[in-house]
Amino acid sequence: MTNARDFDEGRPYRIVRIEGGEGVRRRLFALGFHPGDLVAVTASGILRGPVVLRNVDTGVSVAIGRGIAQKIIAEPADERA
Amino acid sequence: MNAPDAPVVLFIGQPNCGKSTLFNAVAGYKAQTSNFPGTSVQHTHSLVTIDGRVLNVIDLPGTYSLHPSDRAEKVALTHLFNELPDVLINVVDASILGRSLEFTLELLETGRPMVVALNMMDLAEKKGVEVDVPALARRLGVPVIPTIAAHGRGLRELFEAAVRGLDTGCLEPRPGLTGEVEESVMGLADAFPDELPLVFNKRFTAVQMIESGPSFCDEFLKDCLPDLKQKLDETRDALSAKRRMPVYEVFAADRHHLAQKIFEETCRVRRAPRRRAAERLDDILLHPLLGYPILAAVLLGLFFIIFKVGSPLESWLLRPLGVLKSQLGQRLGGGVLYHIADGVVQGIGGGIAIVLPYFLPLLLLTALLEDVGYLARAGFLLDTFMHRLGLHGKSVSPFILGFGCNVPAITATRILESRRDRVLTSLLVPFIPCSARTTIILALVAFFLGPAWALGFYVFNLLLIAGLSRLLSLFWKDESPGLILEIPSLKVPGAKNVALKVWFQLRAFVKFAWPLLIAGSVILGLVQSFHGDAVLNGLLSPLVAGVLGLPKELGVTLIFGFLRKELSLLMMLQALNVDYRNLLTVISRDQIIVFTIFVSLFVPCLSTFVVLWKESGKKVAFLSAGLSLAVAVVISLLVRLII
Repeated sequence: MTNARDFDEGRPYRIVRIEGGEGVRRRLFALGFHPGDLVAVTASGILRGPVVLRNVDTGVSVAIGRGIAQKIIAEPADERA
Repeated sequence: MNAPDAPVVLFIGQPNCGKSTLFNAVAGYKAQTSNFPGTSVQHTHSLVTIDGRVLNVIDLPGTYSLHPSDRAEKVALTHLFNELPDVLINVVDASILGRSLEFTLELLETGRPMVVALNMMDLAEKKGVEVDVPALARRLGVPVIPTIAAHGRGLRELFEAAVRGLDTGCLEPRPGLTGEVEESVMGLADAFPDELPLVFNKRFTAVQMIESGPSFCDEFLKDCLPDLKQKLDETRDALSAKRRMPVYEVFAADRHHLAQKIFEETCRVRRAPRRRAAERLDDILLHPLLGYPILAAVLLGLFFIIFKVGSPLESWLLRPLGVLKSQLGQRLGGGVLYHIADGVVQGIGGGIAIVLPYFLPLLLLTALLEDVGYLARAGFLLDTFMHRLGLHGKSVSPFILGFGCNVPAITATRILESRRDRVLTSLLVPFIPCSARTTIILALVAFFLGPAWALGFYVFNLLLIAGLSRLLSLFWKDESPGLILEIPSLKVPGAKNVALKVWFQLRAFVKFAWPLLIAGSVILGLVQSFHGDAVLNGLLSPLVAGVLGLPKELGVTLIFGFLRKELSLLMMLQALNVDYRNLLTVISRDQIIVFTIFVSLFVPCLSTFVVLWKESGKKVAFLSAGLSLAVAVVISLLVRLII
């Protein structure tokens, strides 16, 4: 189990749960990120900047700050797992 | 163009779904921007005639769900709930249909007649998504019309379907939620007393009550309908306990699963054999090392183009004005008539020759950057730096728009979720040198001191904003919620949409600013002809001459600088009674720098001040004015002492 801040870039993960307050969770749901979804990090900013998280199923990408990325708990979903 | 009885057709959809492009294709040049009564909110509407029926079509800001996170979304929802639209046109991005359908399902619950515009079909095809349109329409129970907004394709069919929707009336709310959730909702709806005011219908009202959590109407219910309040609490608790998650998540998860199911049933995804060119391009644009030089090149390119286009265009346009002025002088002598005529010429000429060469290219380029989807990417790249200044990446887009004009930039702060970020960004935006100030910087600093000085001026200005941001965030210590920003697919912008966007802003400028510009010049002309400027200059001379060390004749220009920044430049020449090319004979290079700095910073222009007031309140507007004045005085004084 890991969180989106520590994802290997390009590797698929399945969201187990999303932590944090109601505001952040509702926002992520509305943007199309829910527990059970397959996601991957496609870009990471320098100097502890944000990451771009892509929902592999819907094709939606969002940039999220590291603090929020940390709240997205997931497990690897490829053959290496 | 008023037709109060025309049925209201509301365009509603998630951000970046091409909704405005679609609306622009419908409304074209006739679209009106108007204020929404009761709030300071702007929406665009237009009357459209389809088969002899007049429809009042309204375009709303994008919203991800019916539960707003930021102000732009609140605008959309206030409209939806207050206007009681006759027909909804839900614009969805077909290329991310699975996600978009979640909002469609929410909208279906309103029970209003609805048509789904399946937009960006071309992009969906490129991504390998094939939609079975009839199957989707059957599954949703509403007409689904494929459209390509950028080419205007499908528009006629869309409106024909909307008109049919008007005739058939409201939809039966379709049960879309899982059994237990549906039971809870209907259980609560059945307990509604007759006198309870409903939003759309019983079921929708019940869903909103349960889903919105403890804030929504709870106080009202506790006082007026305690029995219903108790039933509501029980319903929430039971659902939450059964599914072991907060009640809002129950609904979000239900809609998500249903949306996925519908997507899987009605769409076929051919996996593209290799990654699309746009995705590979994104790897470079968002690359931790390559992304920054590209961003710097884009921004520098922006200014280079404006400089290269604007500067020659300006001198080319200014030349006939000089000739006209001297001819006026010969024909009319030096009396009142000359001053009025000269004021008119200066006002019109200033608008054409000074503002348009810079304003137009900047509008065009920022509109392009926005439509390509690069502004969001700039937000991602700069987020980490913005964090160190107490803001985050979402503020980047208002800042970049601010280089064109501060007014739309202030409006763009609506995309920020927290009031703290919104106010902080709104206070900083007026320090961004907008195109009007760019004209001054280029005309004074670049022309008389050289381009390197002008570039230095910009760098200094950005550093100043960074410093101010740090300083201001000391007063608003509360944590910024952090960045959540959708990165839309890269798109080739539609020429028509970009042109319309530029046209709307330009029209607003011509309508609002030009009369001010002309009136301002005429008034100054009159004031001069009656020697009233001496009085104003005398009043301002402690500041202008004492603090800033400038000729006291420039005092009056500052007053006009508050109307429009570029007026200061025009008025400067008029006040000093000197030809542009001979400016250095009456004022030194150091004085030019101090004047430019002070004029750039000293106060947000009238339009910016008004929009600040409307968006964030009187306090913020005056705070901004006070802050600008203080910063301008301090910086100008420092610069004066140093150089």
